Amino acid sequence: MRCLLPLLLWVVAGIARAEAYYVTVAGLGGEPDYEQRFTQQAADLDRIFKAVGSTAHVFTLAGKDATRARVTSTLRGVAAVAKPEDDFVLILIGHGSFDGVEYKFNLPGPDITATELAQLCGKIASKRQLMVNTTSSSGGSLGVLAKKGRAVIAATKSGTEKNATVFARYWVEALQDARADMDKNESISALEAFQYAATKTAAFYDSQKRLATEHAVFTDTGNGGAAVRVASKETGEGRLLANLALVRFGTERTATAASPAKRNLLAKKEQLEARIDTLKYQRAAMSPQEYRQQMTESLVALAKVQEELDK
Amino acid sequence: MRATASVMAGVLVVVATLTTATSTEPARAPAAGTMPFALPAPVLAAATRAGPALRLASTATPAMPTPAATAAQSAPVERCESLLKHGHNAETNTCYQTLVRDSAPYLRAEGHWGLAQYSEANEEFRTAVAQAPANPLYKVRWGRMLHERFNDQDAMDLFKEALAKDPNNAQAYFGLATVSAGGFSDGAVEFARKALQLNPQLTEAHELLASLALEDSQPDQAAIEADAAIKVSADALDAFAVHASIELLADRSPDPWLARITAINPTYGRGYALIAHHLILTGRYVDGVAYYRKAIAADPQLWSARSELGVNLMRLGQDTEAREQLQKSYQNGYRNGATVNSLRLLDSYKNFVVLKDDTTILKLHKKESDLLYPYFLAELKRSIAVYEQKYHMKLTGPVQVEVYPDHEDFAVRTLGMPGLGALGVTFGNVVAMDSPSGRKPGDFHWASTLRHELSHVFILAATNHRVPRWFTEGLAVHEETQASPEWGDPITPDIVVALKEKKLLPVAELDRGFVRPKYPAQVLVSYFQAGQICDYIQNRWGAAKLLDMVHAYAHVVSTREVIQKNLGVSAEEFDKQFQAWLYGQLQGTLASFEQFHEKLKHLAKAAHDKRYDDVVRDGDAVIRLYPAYVYDANAYEFLAEAQLAQGNKPGAAATLEAYMKAGGRRPAALTSLAQLQESLGNPQAAAATLDRVNYIDPAYNEDLHRHLGALWLAQKNYPGAIREYGAVVAFRPLDVAAAQYDLAHAYFEAGQRDKAEDAVLASLEAAPNYRPAQKLLLQLKSP
Repeated sequence: MRCLLPLLLWVVAGIARAEAYYVTVAGLGGEPDYEQRFTQQAADLDRIFKAVGSTAHVFTLAGKDATRARVTSTLRGVAAVAKPEDDFVLILIGHGSFDGVEYKFNLPGPDITATELAQLCGKIASKRQLMVNTTSSSGGSLGVLAKKGRAVIAATKSGTEKNATVFARYWVEALQDARADMDKNESISALEAFQYAATKTAAFYDSQKRLATEHAVFTDTGNGGAAVRVASKETGEGRLLANLALVRFGTERTATAASPAKRNLLAKKEQLEARIDTLKYQRAAMSPQEYRQQMTESLVALAKVQEELDK
Repeated sequence: MRATASVMAGVLVVVATLTTATSTEPARAPAAGTMPFALPAPVLAAATRAGPALRLASTATPAMPTPAATAAQSAPVERCESLLKHGHNAETNTCYQTLVRDSAPYLRAEGHWGLAQYSEANEEFRTAVAQAPANPLYKVRWGRMLHERFNDQDAMDLFKEALAKDPNNAQAYFGLATVSAGGFSDGAVEFARKALQLNPQLTEAHELLASLALEDSQPDQAAIEADAAIKVSADALDAFAVHASIELLADRSPDPWLARITAINPTYGRGYALIAHHLILTGRYVDGVAYYRKAIAADPQLWSARSELGVNLMRLGQDTEAREQLQKSYQNGYRNGATVNSLRLLDSYKNFVVLKDDTTILKLHKKESDLLYPYFLAELKRSIAVYEQKYHMKLTGPVQVEVYPDHEDFAVRTLGMPGLGALGVTFGNVVAMDSPSGRKPGDFHWASTLRHELSHVFILAATNHRVPRWFTEGLAVHEETQASPEWGDPITPDIVVALKEKKLLPVAELDRGFVRPKYPAQVLVSYFQAGQICDYIQNRWGAAKLLDMVHAYAHVVSTREVIQKNLGVSAEEFDKQFQAWLYGQLQGTLASFEQFHEKLKHLAKAAHDKRYDDVVRDGDAVIRLYPAYVYDANAYEFLAEAQLAQGNKPGAAATLEAYMKAGGRRPAALTSLAQLQESLGNPQAAAATLDRVNYIDPAYNEDLHRHLGALWLAQKNYPGAIREYGAVVAFRPLDVAAAQYDLAHAYFEAGQRDKAEDAVLASLEAAPNYRPAQKLLLQLKSP
């Protein structure tokens, strides 16, 4: 039984006060079923992002409105107002194609290519960008879209995975399911949403006893390496995604204007969190007993700090 | 063995075989629905070239060689084969080498075949057939060789082509019989009889019929056929082997017959292999292995026997030696499906974990071992306890249960066994079965299958493997519903049809229905009949009679004698009384079957059209016509859906409860029932319903376990909650923190603080700021 987040959820993009721009495009369905599905998924994202409040600027194009001209003008519009400290998120839902050279996102009328999208998005000033291409053949867009400061997620590992995808369905679900918050920090990061959607997609094919025809991947280092499926501390893949909170439903982190005592506790908490991260990283080099002892001490200390914070 | 209605779709490994195709042609693909691997070569003539090449009894047509010409062509081959049969190995070799140098392609083919140069033989046969396409001899002999080299499809085609040229060709019919026998097809007997009708002097056909009769548990008939073979040919070695098998199966000494084989050919390993085959078929695996060892001791290059030895050592759990034997066969060119697939299965065992205790060994795939282990272990222990009490005995060693998530891996374990579509199979103390994850959810009830197979383990041990197939299967089916009325398979439409057509076998011949079915559903019908017979005996004479019969069979008594002695009626009278009882029980379903079929069709249409008033009006009546019909598109689910659409939750719950009690197993339907029960204020019933799904498919749904855990925690069933939350963890969920916290909570409530701490630390390790877990950790750490 899926438990939905409280209605009060909202979306933030990183640092408070920064603005965030969300552009969602539901492309050409080709068949009534797909049209309906893509439009509904875009509408769900529109609702989720609009719940953010005044820092979020949400643009959603679907159905006959999702033409290349409208996509172009929307992205140019964002480029005209976005500032370097802002975040930008582009989500593509629908069908794509890849001819071995160029990826195209299928739209009513002329399609738009990955190169065109890269050029348009490249003109948007931002601290971080996230592009989520959930279409068939979306893997074919990775090479063109990837760059420093931009995380790119594709529903397929290459342009040759041409079948219609289900990744978008689970991406939308991830932003509404509290279980996607795997580290229980009361927010869902882009990395958590990716892990949720990729796992659910794989489970979908498994449950249908079908050979999986899509394998979601991401790249967020911009170093030109191959896209990956799991984050890695060694390569840094996944760091940008992990830091990009898409949905937040807690209050604690916003309490920056709290009393000095609380600020001290928050600082101590951050130290303990860092200590726990370090311990995890060092685990292989420690004896199980030593690891458990130190981890237990850190976790108990963290729990006590939290208890104080909650008073 | 436990079977299912579905046909095994076993595309395992397409073994490289010789084919009739020319080298530029692709090998023929196996026909849809057939097994593209060769069964082991258990039967006579399946793996031997011994025996006269041809003694045509047919009338030649002008396009064909005359019988005299054929005899002339066959004579050199027969000389070589006679030498081989009598164990003159050096001379045999020389003889075949002479044939290789002959100017006639056919004789060169025979020569190469005799020297195990199969590719060369294949080419020469092709040339011979191309030069004389009307000559059935070449096609028949080519077919025999292809059958020996695991290509039954092309062999069959060649035999049929030979018959097209010469409809009275006894050897072609015999070829068809050998191929059919390998697949336990009913056609084998008919083809062999036809061959004998055309040529009564065909020793091999008598020998084959003798072996087939013994496979069908008809030792008297087997002896008659073996004697007929010996009458035709004093050196009918396989007839001697069949006689030796008859003696061994009756716990008498086979030595006189073995001595006759040895006197003629001391290196005749095939005779021992044939005996081993019959021992294996009756479940005497240890004895069978011993005879396969004798076979390869007599003839170390008898790779077919070595392969069979490997396969059966695997069945006994002796994997190391099994691998050695299989590898030797493989390396020496014996690469039939059983050998290749068994080696692959052995390789795949690195992906399994073996979990042992004093009485059990569970071999589970790594990917699901954490999830399945608690359920399988509990049920295995429960079954062992039940049978120990029932049969007043303890097993001498642990029971090994192997659970395969890939049905094709499991299928390798059943290679060479009669009856397709098995769910589980027992080899002494070793049980192999499908994992619930290997089949569509609801396709089978794993706990019922395990209970079934464990019955075999005990019955085989109690009788020292001296029990007819029908009785051990019948008891095993009977035990399923003894465990719970909802277990076991409700009567299927196939069985209803068979009953209407009066297709039940007499009890004394019921083994035949398992080994050599005459119609597609006969194996399933035989399971049903055998189970019903045991139910009937218990109902009429009491459970003690079943135990008496077990003991009687241990003394190698025939079914006729067992029934007469223990039940006081003749087998014929028993059949009469049993069938009267059975037909009385099923009177309603049988009488209204056609009506049910028609009305269900209308109900399905109404449900599809969302005409819920019609569905609610007619649903109950359709169910009453055939209450056990819980399979696809059943009336229960149509009715419940309609009742729900009309807001009648209590009605829908009652309908789905009836479905469950009738043996309905679709997890989605049972989950719906649990939701209804909970919403109607009965969480205890909801928990019990969800728990039933665990016995059908624990891998069905992570959320089901989470919810059942919560229900049981609320009901203070802490062991149950721990198991269910443990299952959630075993699913390796995305939300590890919540799963571990739930488990920690259950342990905490159960007073198991150490385990609670382990789990809560695991939760916080995944999510250090998870507040419920933090609170529990502080609780655990507080003095």
